Amino acid sequence: MRHLLLKLEPVIWLLFGQGIMIGTMLLTAYLAVVGVAIPLGIVSPDALAYERALRLGSSLIGRVVLFALIALPMWKGAHHVRHLSLDMGGLSRDAVVAPILYGLALLGNLLALIAVVRLH
Amino acid sequence: MSDKKTFVIQRFDPDRDEAPRQQSYEVPVQPDWKVLDGLNFIKDELDGTLSHRWSCRMAVCGSCGMMVNGKPSLTCKDALANYGDRVEVTPLANFPVVRDLVVEMDGFMEKLKAVKPWIMVAKERAVEEGTYRQSPEELEYFKQFSMCINCMLCYSACPVVGNEPEFLGPAAIALGHRYNMDTRDEGQRERNEIFRGEGTVFACSYANECSEVCPKHVDPAAAVNQAKINAVIDWATSFVVPRGGK
Amino acid sequence: MARAAHPHAMSPSRPGRTRTAPPQMPAQFPTSGRYFTYTLFGSTGILYLLCGFGALRAVWLLGSGRTAWEGLQRDYAQAPLILLHVVCLAAVIFVGVRFFRLFPKAQPAKIGPAKPPPRPILHAGLYAAWIVVSGGLALVMAGGIF
Repeated sequence: MRHLLLKLEPVIWLLFGQGIMIGTMLLTAYLAVVGVAIPLGIVSPDALAYERALRLGSSLIGRVVLFALIALPMWKGAHHVRHLSLDMGGLSRDAVVAPILYGLALLGNLLALIAVVRLH
Repeated sequence: MSDKKTFVIQRFDPDRDEAPRQQSYEVPVQPDWKVLDGLNFIKDELDGTLSHRWSCRMAVCGSCGMMVNGKPSLTCKDALANYGDRVEVTPLANFPVVRDLVVEMDGFMEKLKAVKPWIMVAKERAVEEGTYRQSPEELEYFKQFSMCINCMLCYSACPVVGNEPEFLGPAAIALGHRYNMDTRDEGQRERNEIFRGEGTVFACSYANECSEVCPKHVDPAAAVNQAKINAVIDWATSFVVPRGGK
Repeated sequence: MARAAHPHAMSPSRPGRTRTAPPQMPAQFPTSGRYFTYTLFGSTGILYLLCGFGALRAVWLLGSGRTAWEGLQRDYAQAPLILLHVVCLAAVIFVGVRFFRLFPKAQPAKIGPAKPPPRPILHAGLYAAWIVVSGGLALVMAGGIF
């Protein structure tokens, strides 16, 4: 398992890097608008009423953006949680923890693909 | 008129002690003293059994690294005026302790050697071909990373070093990166494979503590993270450009 | 009191001639001094996983019809979720600021013929990108354009 993880490190690190870079930029907007501004009434809920949200989300660029918004933060999350485990002395359990976390991110990415494809 | 400070020092004699213990000393200090001066006073005047490494007293040899009040410190450079009445000195964190303030260095030397820190060329230049030529700009690509004095403070500060024994560590990776960025060197492929191997540069979690504690402003965190990018590029090109035999 | 490091941390491949005391982590690790910020930074990974799966749920519900989507909007209007989103937003901004501070020096001086821009310019450029991308997406989501 360690050997496999070492071989995959460059890919995981690239995904993690984009998770921070692009994921952070996209999440800022999403959390600010969908998570805070609309619920608090700072922005009208009509902005993301069902018809408009679906129209935006099911455009090609909308699907790409939504996929990135879902998928990329998962790699940042998985990688950092794994490192947190290692920081807490978890080297001996890494062979179990790392595949679970990266597997979770991979599963999330697959579900994200399905989620954006089924928008119509 | 000198101040008194209490030095609380970790002692460990492998022949006598089960485990490390603390011992206190009252030291009359001068205003311009460094921590090392206090330790040398203890050794010279109070307790000749104290063991600690030191040499140049001017922050170039890298011998006198220790933890002072819990932080990695080059004790010949660290002024006692920075500290209050109590100065706690322990050996460098993350290292096995040989005796008192002396740590086992062989593991560090092995990591340095593992990155092949020398110019590697496919074919040696003949004398008639003359010297290598390197512009000032080319020197700047790696000069900063060549300033390491091997004091090991970065290893003491790094959370990964303490948790993952295989990790090459800041100084070794910075040294390897120094050679990778040297225009005279042709060993990047070999070194990047080492960087992706057991000692993997990707174990670095970019705490940046190594750079915070480095007394020579080498910025090993920059080197390690630049090395990650180079290692990824090398990994990607390995699919495109076939690797031949040695 | 420092916690124990890995028993083989910095150990040589062959044992020395005398027994050694085991290595200790630095005393301030993991939650004192600058290590606190570092550990916090790593901990945001949990929130990023949460945000990723939260966004997944949102998009899934959008694709499940009007009732599902409007149900989600009602959920999001509840105080606990608003609070969670505020905490996540703070975490995301914290991550961005720390990462952007560390990013410029992580670029090699030269990759083939390419050289990165000077570090302050790169740093400013990252913030500009953040404003443009986030601002643009926020404008679209908030109904300002399209």
